[in-house]
Amino acid sequence: MNDVPRIRIADIHKSFGPLEVLRGVSFDVHRGSVVSVVGASGSGKSTLLRCVNHLEPPDSGEIFIEGESLGSRVDERGQRRPRSLAEINAMRRELGVVFQQFNLWPHMTVLGNVIEAPIRVRKMPRKDAIAYGEECLRRVKMIDKANEYPARLSGGQQQRAAIARALAMRPKAMLFDEATSSLDPELTDEVLGVMRELAADGTTMIVVTHEMGFAREVSDRVIFLHQGVIEEEGAPADIFDAPKSERLRQFLSKYRK
Amino acid sequence: MSDALKQSLDLSMFWEYRAILLQGLIFNALVFLCAASVALSVGLGAALLRINRFWPMRWIGTLHVEVFRNAPDYIMLVWVHFVLPLLIGMVIRRRVEFHPFVSAVIALGFVYSGYFAEAFRAGIQAIPQGNLDAGRAFGMSERLILWRITLPQVVRRMLPEALNLFISMFKATTIVSLIAVPDLMYNVSMVIQQEMRPLPLYTGAAITYFLIILLLSSGVRVFSERWRRKILA
Repeated sequence: MNDVPRIRIADIHKSFGPLEVLRGVSFDVHRGSVVSVVGASGSGKSTLLRCVNHLEPPDSGEIFIEGESLGSRVDERGQRRPRSLAEINAMRRELGVVFQQFNLWPHMTVLGNVIEAPIRVRKMPRKDAIAYGEECLRRVKMIDKANEYPARLSGGQQQRAAIARALAMRPKAMLFDEATSSLDPELTDEVLGVMRELAADGTTMIVVTHEMGFAREVSDRVIFLHQGVIEEEGAPADIFDAPKSERLRQFLSKYRK
Repeated sequence: MSDALKQSLDLSMFWEYRAILLQGLIFNALVFLCAASVALSVGLGAALLRINRFWPMRWIGTLHVEVFRNAPDYIMLVWVHFVLPLLIGMVIRRRVEFHPFVSAVIALGFVYSGYFAEAFRAGIQAIPQGNLDAGRAFGMSERLILWRITLPQVVRRMLPEALNLFISMFKATTIVSLIAVPDLMYNVSMVIQQEMRPLPLYTGAAITYFLIILLLSSGVRVFSERWRRKILA
């Protein structure tokens, strides 16, 4: 049964008006593996990640979490029908998302942010949520800031708190949407360090990133997206050392300067 | 100093009638509290209609705001007290009368709900989309997001404007004497009829309102600023 992928992305299409952002993207993410998605701005990376948890419902194609479709289900009569928003919510909580802009809730302390969804969505008793939330904050080395408000933290600290918030839901996989792109270079490392540790601990991850060094070092698989389709994919060594397509070579040359 | 001026600054008569005047002031406070609750809840409802996905809902919300924000509270008060019961009576075919207190609460509550709706709407629309995305991504329902993520931030953001609205609203409670709610102004006019000395009593009432509003609003301002600053970088 372990060959059922944690996440299966099957032929995802998405358009915004006349603009076709994703034109049939498919790949699997297996348990404990890290898949990095790289590509130029506008290649559809972030949209792809937003489609994975239906923040943007795909126009066609399906997302499966452990074999179960996120967008539809088979009813009692054996017919496939779209899931209600409540059902999608129930599936979404299995995916921890870390956003480029952190998106911490400013009116709650760091710990408040971390325990909010476990208490309200997972219905975890407050005491347990706090205990586990503190454990997550310790993992990202933010326990000493547990009672601070986000406005008083640096970008790197906010992002680490956001990672703890996602971990606190005990997700089946973590989705990182350019988690370091809005950080100053000196703050990037502390966030990448945390992500590296998560990967080493066997967390299933999809990482949309511009950090080629990180993608190369941490990923099991790298996907190069170009104009809404997978142009090339493979092990990091193949992608970075022996790119086959001209576009990937051009893309990588910009990072080698 | 002229006699009239001297007379208006002599507050001994105001002090003499303090018990009955204080009773009136309590009515002002009651009308204010009830009308504020109506204004806040109806205002929030109208704001949610104004940003609804479906245009008929948005249209109803906009109509609500425009009608009540543009109606003078004085006229609204008279209309609610004298005309609205007739209309309701016509529909249910029975004689209807509103207690003056009820009319005052409805009229002021609805007039100010128009203003509060706009304050709520602006506050809701100022919440960054990412905040809501984060809630959705963790499986929170839209209702949970409204109560736990959106409104707590909206309340903090709109506090300065809400405070101004509450001040105008408290001042507006002075007109409820018009329909015989026994508030401070009503009792002042009763005493005036007896004593025939309007100036000191009006001066006393003015000073009373001024002091109450000044004290309460500066207290609220200090408290709310400290609270707001925590979340706004």
